[in-house]
Amino acid sequence: MQAFLKGPSAISTKPPAAKERAAAGSSGEGKRLKPIPWVEKYRPKYVDEVAFQDEVVAVLKKSLEGADLPNLLFYGPPGTGKTSTILAAARELYGPELFRQRVLELNASDERGIQVIREKVKAFAQLTASGSRSDGKVCPPFKIVILDEADSMTSAAQAALRRTMEKESKTTRFCLICNYISRIIEPLTSRCSKFRFKPLSDKIQQQRLLDVSEKEHVKISGEAVSYLVKVSEGDLRKAITFLQSATRLTGGKEITEKIITEIAGVIPKETIDGLLSACQSSSFEKLETVAKNLINEGYAVAQLLNQLHDIVVESEDFTDKQKSAIVEKLAEVDKCLADGADEYLQLMSLCALVMQQLTQNI
Amino acid sequence: TVFWTESCLFLFCVQVQCGDFPHLLVYGPSGAGKKTRIMCLLRELYGAGVEKLRIEHQSITAPSKKKIEISTIASNYHLEVNPSDAGNNDRVVIQELLKTVAQSQQLETSTQRDFKVVLLTEVDKLTKDAQHALRRTMEKYMATCRLILCCNSMSKIIAPIQSRCLAIRVPAPSTEDICHVLSSVCKKEGLTLPQELAQRLAEKSGRNLRKALLMCESCRVQQYPFTPDQDIPEMDWEVYLRETANAIVSQQTPQRLLEVRGRLYELLTHCIPPEIIMKGLLSELLNNCDGQLKGEVTHMAAFYEHRLQLGSKAIYHLEAFVAKFMAIYKKFMEDGLEDMMF
Amino acid sequence: MFGFFCQVTGWLAHSFDDFFGNTNTSSSTVPVNALEGSTGRNQHQKKKDLSSLPASSKNKVLPRKRAKSSSVDLSCSRSRQNQSQSQDEPWVDKYKPATQNDLAVHKKKIEEVEAWLKMHIFQRQPKQGGFVLLLTGPPGCGKTATIQMLVKDLGIQVQEWTNPISLDFTKEDLKSIFGHDSNFHTFPSQAQAALFQDFLLRANKYNKLQMLGESSENDKKLILIEDIPNQFYRDPSSLHEILRRFVRTSRCPLIFIISDNFSGDSNQRLLFPKEILEELCISSISFKPVAPTNMMRVLNRIATIEATMNREKNYVPDRTSLESICRGCSGDIRSAINSLQFSSMKDCSLEDNFRSKKKGSSTLKCEAVVSKARKKNKSDTLEKQEMQAIGGKDASIFLFHALGKIIYCKREPLSESEFPQLPSHLSEYHRDTLLIQPEEIVEKSHMSGSMFNLYLHQNYVEFFANIDDVVRASEYLSTADVLCSNWNSRLVMEKYSASVATRGVIHSNTTRAFAQCQGGMGFRPLHKPQWFFINKKYQENCLAAKSLFSSFCLPPECLQTELLPYLAMLTNPMRNQAQIAFIQDVGRLPLKRHFGRLKLETLTDKDPGIPDLFVNYEGDLADVNAAETALQMEKTKPNENESDGFPLSSSQCSGSELPCSQPQPIAAQAIMEDDELKIEEYDTD
Repeated sequence: MQAFLKGPSAISTKPPAAKERAAAGSSGEGKRLKPIPWVEKYRPKYVDEVAFQDEVVAVLKKSLEGADLPNLLFYGPPGTGKTSTILAAARELYGPELFRQRVLELNASDERGIQVIREKVKAFAQLTASGSRSDGKVCPPFKIVILDEADSMTSAAQAALRRTMEKESKTTRFCLICNYISRIIEPLTSRCSKFRFKPLSDKIQQQRLLDVSEKEHVKISGEAVSYLVKVSEGDLRKAITFLQSATRLTGGKEITEKIITEIAGVIPKETIDGLLSACQSSSFEKLETVAKNLINEGYAVAQLLNQLHDIVVESEDFTDKQKSAIVEKLAEVDKCLADGADEYLQLMSLCALVMQQLTQNI
Repeated sequence: TVFWTESCLFLFCVQVQCGDFPHLLVYGPSGAGKKTRIMCLLRELYGAGVEKLRIEHQSITAPSKKKIEISTIASNYHLEVNPSDAGNNDRVVIQELLKTVAQSQQLETSTQRDFKVVLLTEVDKLTKDAQHALRRTMEKYMATCRLILCCNSMSKIIAPIQSRCLAIRVPAPSTEDICHVLSSVCKKEGLTLPQELAQRLAEKSGRNLRKALLMCESCRVQQYPFTPDQDIPEMDWEVYLRETANAIVSQQTPQRLLEVRGRLYELLTHCIPPEIIMKGLLSELLNNCDGQLKGEVTHMAAFYEHRLQLGSKAIYHLEAFVAKFMAIYKKFMEDGLEDMMF
Repeated sequence: MFGFFCQVTGWLAHSFDDFFGNTNTSSSTVPVNALEGSTGRNQHQKKKDLSSLPASSKNKVLPRKRAKSSSVDLSCSRSRQNQSQSQDEPWVDKYKPATQNDLAVHKKKIEEVEAWLKMHIFQRQPKQGGFVLLLTGPPGCGKTATIQMLVKDLGIQVQEWTNPISLDFTKEDLKSIFGHDSNFHTFPSQAQAALFQDFLLRANKYNKLQMLGESSENDKKLILIEDIPNQFYRDPSSLHEILRRFVRTSRCPLIFIISDNFSGDSNQRLLFPKEILEELCISSISFKPVAPTNMMRVLNRIATIEATMNREKNYVPDRTSLESICRGCSGDIRSAINSLQFSSMKDCSLEDNFRSKKKGSSTLKCEAVVSKARKKNKSDTLEKQEMQAIGGKDASIFLFHALGKIIYCKREPLSESEFPQLPSHLSEYHRDTLLIQPEEIVEKSHMSGSMFNLYLHQNYVEFFANIDDVVRASEYLSTADVLCSNWNSRLVMEKYSASVATRGVIHSNTTRAFAQCQGGMGFRPLHKPQWFFINKKYQENCLAAKSLFSSFCLPPECLQTELLPYLAMLTNPMRNQAQIAFIQDVGRLPLKRHFGRLKLETLTDKDPGIPDLFVNYEGDLADVNAAETALQMEKTKPNENESDGFPLSSSQCSGSELPCSQPQPIAAQAIMEDDELKIEEYDTD
């Protein structure tokens, strides 16, 4: 690892290494592009651009007009524009120059123990903020601290934050962003104005994806887009990420459903149908074979659970009783998998139950 | 070199052509050729230099001053490490090791890719804590290094990691693929492999190429020239497990349970992980019991395997499964006898 | 605890009195004193009480031993002091057994010891070597008292070894000893061992060596050793060497008295392993805890005497409180007498404080003093508990018995009217009343819950007749394991886990569900859990596999379940010796129908429980690691020359140099680690 760390300069005295370096160098020359993640590139720049969250936008705009903000708490499923909204709002407030000085964004990729909350936030909050910006426009005399994924903070850290929020209320506004409001302690939620972000409608998502693909010159059919929306389960960020990955893979060719399936790790419908029909066959050996194949194909059982759940719930072939039994088992298997149980055994157990439900109760 | 072609390999090549790639998450069953593909990719990137490997032992000092020993495999261009070797300290390994890599001197941009590759294996064995650490690290050091994560099952990877990586599924090779590979390997070794034997080997391997090759080699040791119907040697532990299953089926008493415990211990001391024992035992027992029982037995196995993962001492759970099977089976046999009487 | 404290301070005061009050009297510094009458024993008795505290670590043991010997040095001046203090004299000494009948020890044991003494002292062949007797038993079961009694009756002279302090002993030393415990370690233990040897040989050679000028007309003499130099705990072999020489040359019997303790380190096994016992023909007599009836007899005697003698000073405990004392001390007569004295005391200021703090503990004086009776309106059971809390001794039980109690689970037939019957559909769960408290038993066994479960798991199957019962028991054990899987809550959950396991196993066993069908089980040997060994072996082998075959770059699972077993079948020329040996060992399994290959280690009634394997577990793992690394280091050299699939360039194999270049944790990370500690601070504001 020494050599690996020091890079080729450390080993350049050795002839074979040098030779290789030359060889590697010649092949690796040129064509180096630094792709920005499209998720960042196409983030809404203005609050108005935020898709689908009309109520939130309306309220925010009102407070922006008064150049003031309350402490905010955004919650809702992932990929619905929570972070985008606050970033856009901050940008509108401060303009591009002041934005860096005035906004502290702490997301889950930073260490966020109590100590950090206390010191970093405190240090940031103590910087004074003037009421004007360089281009002469009025700008609010406070700073914004954005705490992304606040629900992953420990309750102790949240308790610490409570105090800090009050102390620094003159100069600093906080914006907490989380998926589950139930994981935020009561004293914090009561100090913030809460905004719920609803899941994006399929139509809005499709619209956005089409916009992006047009700007990036991606060839993609309408069906593929709607499939992409379906696969990403209402998470626009995920959809855009998938779109970007698919684009890089195809390298200018048209993006097909197959590629999206591959990238998203979605299990093809035929495979699931095969599994279900094996369950109906009441042949345990056949079931074993199908299950083994599913594992061997490398599909994740957790993914299967998601898809199977949708299929079972929507299916008209099952009675309500069967559905409830199967769905209960799905939940149980999901928990077991989260605990690290073996995929194959859990899959077999699930299939055995489905088989029992399908063959015995009809 | 990879013998069979399908979509993933193609995907890889496209990645490499671009000269850059996002973090990768390569997943697929054991023996499907994940590592082989990753090495191919690295060779495309850096040339033959990546095959000059060194095995090294590192010691990392945790913030708690505890020393952690871990072995790495590295070339000049990449570093391979299995963080789960460090057990509960995997988080520290990820943080410290990646930091070292990312903060060390940049490769010369004129001659090299301007990033380094760290290959983490068995990511699915990482603790949740370590996975969260990994997710932070991934973002922090995106500029200087690329991670390739390698795992058997996506289910155990937390969603944030999945969404930050390009996930590449590597399915196990089909039986035909394996036949093909076996034949060409034998040809290179100057052996003639009958098609039937190749087929049988491929089927027996359970779509695991590594296992198929090892089986083929042990066939060769056992008997050469090959005959189409020759015995394929089985691994000792598989045979032992089957004998154990037979012992369970033949008698269901507390005494027998004690004997089975002894056999389970024997398997454990021979390095067979408890999960594998549980799975093997299930499939052997399923062969021995009737259709109606199979579902129930499967549920039991899944139940106790889950507990085995939760608990700390595997033997409790293995034994509980065996006892449960004994009881189910005994009851079934007794009911069957009664039915015969009347 | 208060009782102990009382005594300790009292004793300390005494010894200081002695010391500073009598510095002019020529106190003998010879570490040998004859055991005559009760003077020497006073100290011992009290000190022995201390020793009944579970003192596991040697550090704790050390000070005690030192302290003891220091006072013994001064013992010649004690008798006078004792006279004047006779009222405060501990009853343990006051009511020392005067005749064999007074001994609370079982008659048979006394006879056994007597027979040995007679045999080896009176009927000794002149040319025969020395004889060694080993007396073992729990503290306070009357080992020493028995010897003393017999010695007196038989007219044998005793020489007793006591651990000396250093030879150049000064007053300052004494002060510093009591001031700083740490100083104890600096004493040369080597010298002590040498002294011990010297003592043995001298006592042996100069047959008529007399310590206190006492004339003795016979050469009937024995050497008594209760106090074993610490050096020998560290290095038992040196003791064995001395003993060998002693046995060859000596002319008088040697008696060792060793108290069992519950806390894990078995002195007896350490100092006198089986081989030595056999080699030197050491006879061994083991004492049992004093039986409750004998104990009651002694307590009654003392109580009556006290009642007649010191009416105005002491309360007379009634029969029930005597019984509760008897129960509370678990066969330790000394502790029983101490608590009797303590509980009968009237005017002890400490006591009063204690009483006022602990309301309701006035049970013992209730009959004598009415004024205090206002507090005694507590339930009877509570009072008993309080009683035990005052004078009672921690009633430890040996693992062997604890396990036995759980597995044999004594029950009492249910009287029909007493409890509501289970409804008919649940009648299969009907059990007779259990006579034991599983939680209590686990607690008294001084073991963690999970450890106890392992023992239970190892042994329960043999006591089951029905596979359906085993299913339920095994499920309970599995649940118990899952319960304490989370390291966060493990400490709390262990108790519950043990409770689930023990009660589960007890309830599952339908063959022992009713009192009337509990007989006929017979004795079955109990075994130590194999799990530690198995688990250790598993991990060792996995580590070894990883380091030996790291060149294959395989994940451990593939390596262990695919590669190794097949490699065992291949004849591959490029493996080195270590690899071949490992493959043959691990990759191969015995395929004949051969059950129970693993050796079972029988659990005996004196085993302290935690197997050595487990005690050294952490260390062992580290050792294994080190060994593996060393192995790997060695291996790198041959590896470089082998064409092992990877061209290993030797000059770059810098694995061993790397550690120094490893990054140190930066400050931010250190801060992060501290987060947990500061939680309270934030909660308060």
